[in-house]
Amino acid sequence: MAQLLNGLAFGALLMILASGLAMIYGLRGVMNFGHGALYMLGAYLAYEMTRRTNFWLALLVAPAGLALVGAFLELAVFRRLQRWSAIEVALVTFGLALIIQRLVVLVWGGTILPVEAPAALRGGVHLGGVVYPAYRLMLIGVAAVLAVALTGWLRWSRLGLYIRAASHDNETSAIMGVNVDRVSLVVVALGAGLAGLAGALAAPYLAVQPGMGLAILVSALIVVVIGGLGSIAGAMLAGLGLGLLQAAGAVWLPSFSVVLPFVALIAVLLWRPLGIAGKRTA
Amino acid sequence: MRVHVRAALLVATVLAAACSGASSSSSTAKTTQPLRIASIPPLTGNLGSYGKDAQTALQFAVEEANAKGGVDGHKVELVNEETDGTPAATVRAAQSAAQRDNAKFIMGVFTSPEHAALQQQLAGLGAVSINSIGKDDPLTGANCSSNAFRVLQSTGMDLRAASRLLTTLPTKTWSILAVDYNTGHDAADLFKAGVQKQGGTIVQTVFAPQNTPDFGSYITKLSQTPADGLFIVEFGADAVTFVKQANQFDLFSKFKTVFGVNTVTTPLFPTLGPKITGMYDTLGYDPTVDVPANKQFVSAWQAKYGSVPYYVQADTYIGTQALFAAVKKAGSVDPLKVRDALSGLTFDSIVGKVTIRAKDHQILRPSYIGQVVQGNEAGGLAWKIVTEAAPSVTSPSPDSACRL
Repeated sequence: MAQLLNGLAFGALLMILASGLAMIYGLRGVMNFGHGALYMLGAYLAYEMTRRTNFWLALLVAPAGLALVGAFLELAVFRRLQRWSAIEVALVTFGLALIIQRLVVLVWGGTILPVEAPAALRGGVHLGGVVYPAYRLMLIGVAAVLAVALTGWLRWSRLGLYIRAASHDNETSAIMGVNVDRVSLVVVALGAGLAGLAGALAAPYLAVQPGMGLAILVSALIVVVIGGLGSIAGAMLAGLGLGLLQAAGAVWLPSFSVVLPFVALIAVLLWRPLGIAGKRTA
Repeated sequence: MRVHVRAALLVATVLAAACSGASSSSSTAKTTQPLRIASIPPLTGNLGSYGKDAQTALQFAVEEANAKGGVDGHKVELVNEETDGTPAATVRAAQSAAQRDNAKFIMGVFTSPEHAALQQQLAGLGAVSINSIGKDDPLTGANCSSNAFRVLQSTGMDLRAASRLLTTLPTKTWSILAVDYNTGHDAADLFKAGVQKQGGTIVQTVFAPQNTPDFGSYITKLSQTPADGLFIVEFGADAVTFVKQANQFDLFSKFKTVFGVNTVTTPLFPTLGPKITGMYDTLGYDPTVDVPANKQFVSAWQAKYGSVPYYVQADTYIGTQALFAAVKKAGSVDPLKVRDALSGLTFDSIVGKVTIRAKDHQILRPSYIGQVVQGNEAGGLAWKIVTEAAPSVTSPSPDSACRL
């Protein structure tokens, strides 16, 4: 039971992070290598807000702050460089990640910073005979609510329809009257906001330090590729799956746990070259 | 046209400044050949914060030496390179410093895998490494190098000191959580041998990869297997992540004894919080050691940085003391002459008179075991030294596997 929850908790974090990454890829066709840095910046904003006010406010401010960074990213990078090849823009995002990392070190220093979980979530909860940390349960809960809300919004709102259309075929959507630039602004801001939320949620859970973004980026990229490039639902499923797989690996195959995500990646790509939810586009 | 020329000049100036910034060296008088130290610590990755501390300690030592007129008439220069803590990046940085900047004395390298890779390259580079962080025993054993010197205790030395403590503890059954690379495996093996010698048993050993983001599964595993004690070998951000998550699971309350190998350090006290009170850890350096040079070092450090130095800073400083003493003994900054002077060198350090053994280039200095208690070093916590062991106990003879 506890191990299942462990898998779900880390999977929840990966799910939130990777769904933002998948959204940006879906719309802009660019793998945002700066996503880990946005997540790290979210954790630092959460640290700053928790220090000054409280963690609950940090949970709102960090995603909002990162959404603004995302809007800037869209206007200054993705929109201006949309005629460039995807790999060139991806390299630009990698450069931005290095800049963000350096700025964070200049502002907050390179040391590991403490972020305490809110007092109400510091204890454990009795669940099926085990005592499990309340904070991790909250993380799973937030991810579940977010998954339902995001899926519902994409499926039933007008903007959601536009996003799905533009993700499927950017040019045809534009011809049909969808304002792709506006949709893209919303998506990149939302994607970055999700990275900020993941960072804020990770702050009391993992170590807040400048290298945290790079450390989790590889897992997030694997999740997005397994899920099917650009598929948000696929990324969510793959995020949870990878979290569970890593927990299972740590228990039953500890010597191989480090390579399991890569084995899963190869296996899924051999079975479904476009990922779990990948669709062949024209 | 003039605007273009001006813009081109501006770009050229910025590029030149950027290039020189990638490898900066402090300016010095050129009357005698300078003593150039290559500082190549990890400034990113899970050991980034410790790397910065090592760099600060090198800067401190260099400024202090230059303020006294240099070392034996040689001004000291620091060539700063940075790595991400991986062996490949470290070897590249060392090559660049030694070949391009002629900085042949390499310091600030962290992990044992980095040292193992670097030590193979030293002879070819004509460089000398002074290791003040990497603790793996084979670095002064099977993988020893005539150009590499270790100025801190090896893991084996620390754990032999720990085995003295084990005799006084009621803990007989142990679980081990260690990082999944050679330092973790070696420490786990040495600890296991020590426990078995005392008649105890290891009930489980769990290895977690470096940069593990979530220790939840490992913690659950540890909490489900009953044992009296928990032995931890995790460093840097991994140590913080593990201890934070262990606190969320209230893991430490399930054990009578929690023992770490450089897992808890003074700068981490505020981050880890009061739940680590009572935990034991190996301590390479004790800032309260009653040696005049140590008191002077601690007060100068406190005056400059406002905190008490801990082992990364102190051991790096001891490394510079060894280098400076060897330069004086050799009467030269020629790497080969300094190397020969370092071998078998006895010098006055902040931990007293110490010797670098000629047969394996391992320093002989005491090891300590500390316990976290309430105090005022940082975050309301402090160290209490519970065991001290002389090198005659922890390293009575050189490793026979070392062939210099």
